[in-house]
Amino acid sequence: MIRYGFQRLVLLGSAGYQRAELPLDDAVSLIAPNNTGKTSLINALQFLLIINKQRMDFGSHDDSKTRRFYFPNNSAYILLEITLPQTGTVVFGCVGKGVSYDYEYFAYKGDLVVEDYRLPEGHLVQQPQLISHLATRGRSVYRYDASEFAKRIYGGRLNERRSEPDFTVFKLENSNDAQVFQQVLTRTLRLDKLASADVKKHLLQIFRRDLPDRNINFKQVWDEAFHDVNADRAQYEAANSQLALIQKMESFYEQRLSLRGKLVVWQTRVNEALSQWQDYYHQQITSLTEQEQMLEAQQKQQTERIKQLTRSQGDLERTIEQLEKENREQTQLQSRFSLVSSRAVMELQLDAIKRELYRVSAVLQQADGRTVAAIERALSRQKQHLDTLKQQKKNLDDNLYRSLGEQLSAEELDRLNRVLSEQAMVLSSEHFRVDLTELKRVLATATADRVELGGLSLSVARLQPGHKQLTEAALDEQIADTERELIGLEAQLAAAQSMEATRHRKQSLENEVQEAQQALADYDRLQSLLESAPERELAFQARTQELHQLNDELERFSEHTEALRLQREQVIDRQKQLQDQNGRIDRLRNNRLDLTEEFSYLKALPHHPWMAEEVWPLDELANNMRTFQQDCQALNQFNSELKAGIRELHAGGLTRFQYSEVEDQELKRIIEFSHQLPQEREALEKKARSAVVNVTASLRELRNGLLTFQSKMREFNRLIGHRRLSDLKTFKIEAEDESHLVEAINVLIAKAEQVETGDSFELFNQESVLDDTALDRAKQILIDEGNARHGLKVDDLFRLVFVVAKFDQEAETFQDIDSAASNGTVLMAKLVTGLAMLHLMQDKRHKLHAICYLDEALALDGRNQASLIETAHEFGFSLIFASPAPLTTVRYCVPIHHSDGANHISRDSWQMLEPLNSEGIR
Amino acid sequence: MSTDIDLQQLPRLSELFKLFNAGKHLNRLSDPSLWVELEQSLPAYTELFKALGYELCVDGRGFAWFHNEEVSPSVSGQSRQLALLFMVIFDTQADAGYSLQRFSEWRVDRKLIEVVFEQHQELLIAEGLEVDELLALLAKAETFGFARQHVDYWELLPAVCRYLDHFEALADHLREQGAEQDSGEDEDDMSDTGGVS
Repeated sequence: MIRYGFQRLVLLGSAGYQRAELPLDDAVSLIAPNNTGKTSLINALQFLLIINKQRMDFGSHDDSKTRRFYFPNNSAYILLEITLPQTGTVVFGCVGKGVSYDYEYFAYKGDLVVEDYRLPEGHLVQQPQLISHLATRGRSVYRYDASEFAKRIYGGRLNERRSEPDFTVFKLENSNDAQVFQQVLTRTLRLDKLASADVKKHLLQIFRRDLPDRNINFKQVWDEAFHDVNADRAQYEAANSQLALIQKMESFYEQRLSLRGKLVVWQTRVNEALSQWQDYYHQQITSLTEQEQMLEAQQKQQTERIKQLTRSQGDLERTIEQLEKENREQTQLQSRFSLVSSRAVMELQLDAIKRELYRVSAVLQQADGRTVAAIERALSRQKQHLDTLKQQKKNLDDNLYRSLGEQLSAEELDRLNRVLSEQAMVLSSEHFRVDLTELKRVLATATADRVELGGLSLSVARLQPGHKQLTEAALDEQIADTERELIGLEAQLAAAQSMEATRHRKQSLENEVQEAQQALADYDRLQSLLESAPERELAFQARTQELHQLNDELERFSEHTEALRLQREQVIDRQKQLQDQNGRIDRLRNNRLDLTEEFSYLKALPHHPWMAEEVWPLDELANNMRTFQQDCQALNQFNSELKAGIRELHAGGLTRFQYSEVEDQELKRIIEFSHQLPQEREALEKKARSAVVNVTASLRELRNGLLTFQSKMREFNRLIGHRRLSDLKTFKIEAEDESHLVEAINVLIAKAEQVETGDSFELFNQESVLDDTALDRAKQILIDEGNARHGLKVDDLFRLVFVVAKFDQEAETFQDIDSAASNGTVLMAKLVTGLAMLHLMQDKRHKLHAICYLDEALALDGRNQASLIETAHEFGFSLIFASPAPLTTVRYCVPIHHSDGANHISRDSWQMLEPLNSEGIR
Repeated sequence: MSTDIDLQQLPRLSELFKLFNAGKHLNRLSDPSLWVELEQSLPAYTELFKALGYELCVDGRGFAWFHNEEVSPSVSGQSRQLALLFMVIFDTQADAGYSLQRFSEWRVDRKLIEVVFEQHQELLIAEGLEVDELLALLAKAETFGFARQHVDYWELLPAVCRYLDHFEALADHLREQGAEQDSGEDEDDMSDTGGVS
């Protein structure tokens, strides 16, 4: 039986090998000390199997170094012979191009014969001549660039050249697996380096088709599902929290509807009434003016009449007063003359008094005219003169004058006589004393017309001499004359005193005459009054009656006047009112509030029909217009209140209806919405539940992916489980839940199931989905994790753990495969895992043996080596063990020789180990 | 593994280093974005921290920390008290029939702490811990990444597994030995082995 698969690897002039020929058709022990090119040899296969430079792995060596190492010139070859079931034996080759250590691919059908690449002189064929040279050897060679070659190897779809053989090496269950396959294959070449993270990555890629490949952005899913719910909820809450405002606005809204209805009707009425008003006003005013003028004329007439009557009234009153006065006079005179019997008596008395008066008057006419006082003064002077005369006579010889006359000159005496009184000159000597010397000296000091007395100096020129010295006889004579005169004067005095009394008597008599005459006249007056008394009485009564009538008439007139005045005042008031009304109407007409745009289409706006009063009289136009204006104002007020209210509602988040066509519509909807809040809440709850269900659809997908993966892992574990690995009783890889995520998903799914079954209605009524804390926590965990990972994938929901159990021990779980067991065991575990993965990917109908490489193979004991070779074989791989010493469990032992600075592996040095039982040879 | 580390690829290096170096545990649950950052470049971080002399430990259950053999006396004291706190909480909850593995679902609030205190009064008073001190310890636990505070309760974070693992190991050990030891020794044991580092 032909064993399809890898046959030989040949390196010519590459990777430090002058020539290397390695069998690949069975287990190989590659023998060389460390660091002598074992790994380089195996890695050379990457150029042919991995092809994509990005996927090749040469450890720490960079790309250019690697290429220089493998393709130092244009005669460096990496050649692989594979027997394909569909084509037979083929050769794949990679040859250096010399320039910048580049290389190219080629393939042909046929066996790999090293001599084909050698020129007759022993040199290797150079790349430019390769195709023509191989042609001479009967090889039909196809050249490829890397990507074309990869497509050939992995059976990618391409426009195959018809004549070209089918070079597909790896038939995969799914060609999309090529990348993963290559990655695992790369690892397979160095399976000892397989790390836990790689295992997870590769397994996920291998099972990818069975898993949802969706990367679920949970936040987005949640937000999408709850977008409407949250939006609705926000609206619900905004409405609920602003319910008081909405109710207030509802009331305004209703009032506005009514008001609009009223204003629609009133606007028309106002316009009609205004058009009629001017005529009405003028007509009214004219009529009132006429009335007023008429009343004014009446008032004037009345006033005139009243003046007339008042004058008559005064006259009558004065007449009556006169009559009364005369009556009083009569009464007085009557009482005065009650004792007088007749006029003659009084006349007699008057005559008697007159006669006495005539007599007294005659007496007085005879009497002298000298008065009593004048006579008494003359009498006194005469008595004094008499005394002086008598004194002179007595001191006739012994008086001052005489004494001075004897001793002084006449002139000196004359001067003294003019100064001293006569009585002083006649003083007797006993009454004076004269110092003559002194007197003469004094008189001499003065001039002839002056006298000096002590400090007094008098002019005497105009003074009369005081004393004239008479003789005794003359004196006697004079004394007798004076005594006579005194007697006459005393008689005159007596007569003068009786004349005075008489004159008093005359005066009194004259008064009496007058009184008597007056009394006589009064008496006559009384007589005349008594005579006219009856006539007076009649006149009095007539006048009094007239006065009464007059007063009555005046009173009536004043009442009438008052009535007229009131009437006129009313008319004037009415005029004023009308004018006032007109003024107000004018003002209102010029300041109409219904001229804004809204009022022009008020009728078209929603309103309640106005059913109140039918008509209103023109007379009330001003008041109605005021009401109209107030209503317009109120409407504007409602408008602005409602506008502000809507703004507030918007600010408060109630924006659902803000795109309504008109404000009224939005208001109406808001109000209806506010009435529907309980139902809204119920609907919201339902929506929230269905949102939970929607959200969980994607979570279910994730969880199902996890479950699928876990079941795939169970299959995988069965695949690797029946291999006994070293001293391990159990070795498996498990996908362990990331419990916080899986549980969060479970919480949400469980909640959704509750919702779906419907019997949780009661529960939800008590505890809203919207306020479920467990739900919220689960959601938050998924959102946080999803945000951190830019979406949730199945692989975020688990971690791979390696479950290892030695015989007689409990199973232990390791996250890192390297720490799970001893080196050898770990190596085996990795190999088994890697091979199982490759096996899973390969098309089972296309059995083709590949190879895998294991360094440090001495870590495994013989039993394990054999077991591994067996396992690899089952998975379709031949193992290449690398170690400094040969292994005996393999078919080929291949040593690496070193000479002339280059490595060599010659086919001749292959040592083939075969069981003694020839049946074991394959 | 490549030894070339591109620092451009580690945008949150400083944040992570500060966190770990402060003795804090990083929890996937409480800090998923930082966790993802660590997870995606774990080899580079491990290597980098190792080069700096720190051993980064990552537990698949979703927490990571710097392991430190040498623990300062103050940290050791705090660790000892935290160990005691978690032990009494676990003990109380186990008695109440709760699964210890699901500790992250517990609501650790004053009410629970009061119950805990009541049940372990003698031990706690001997350690000088009363209800308020225990609550303060929870705040301390937050600074080490063992708990996080919600409005009215504390949530224990996965890093508490480190203590739980020790408690369970001890319990197994005791079971195996079938011997009873007094709790004081238990705690010392725990703080020595399960100390925060």
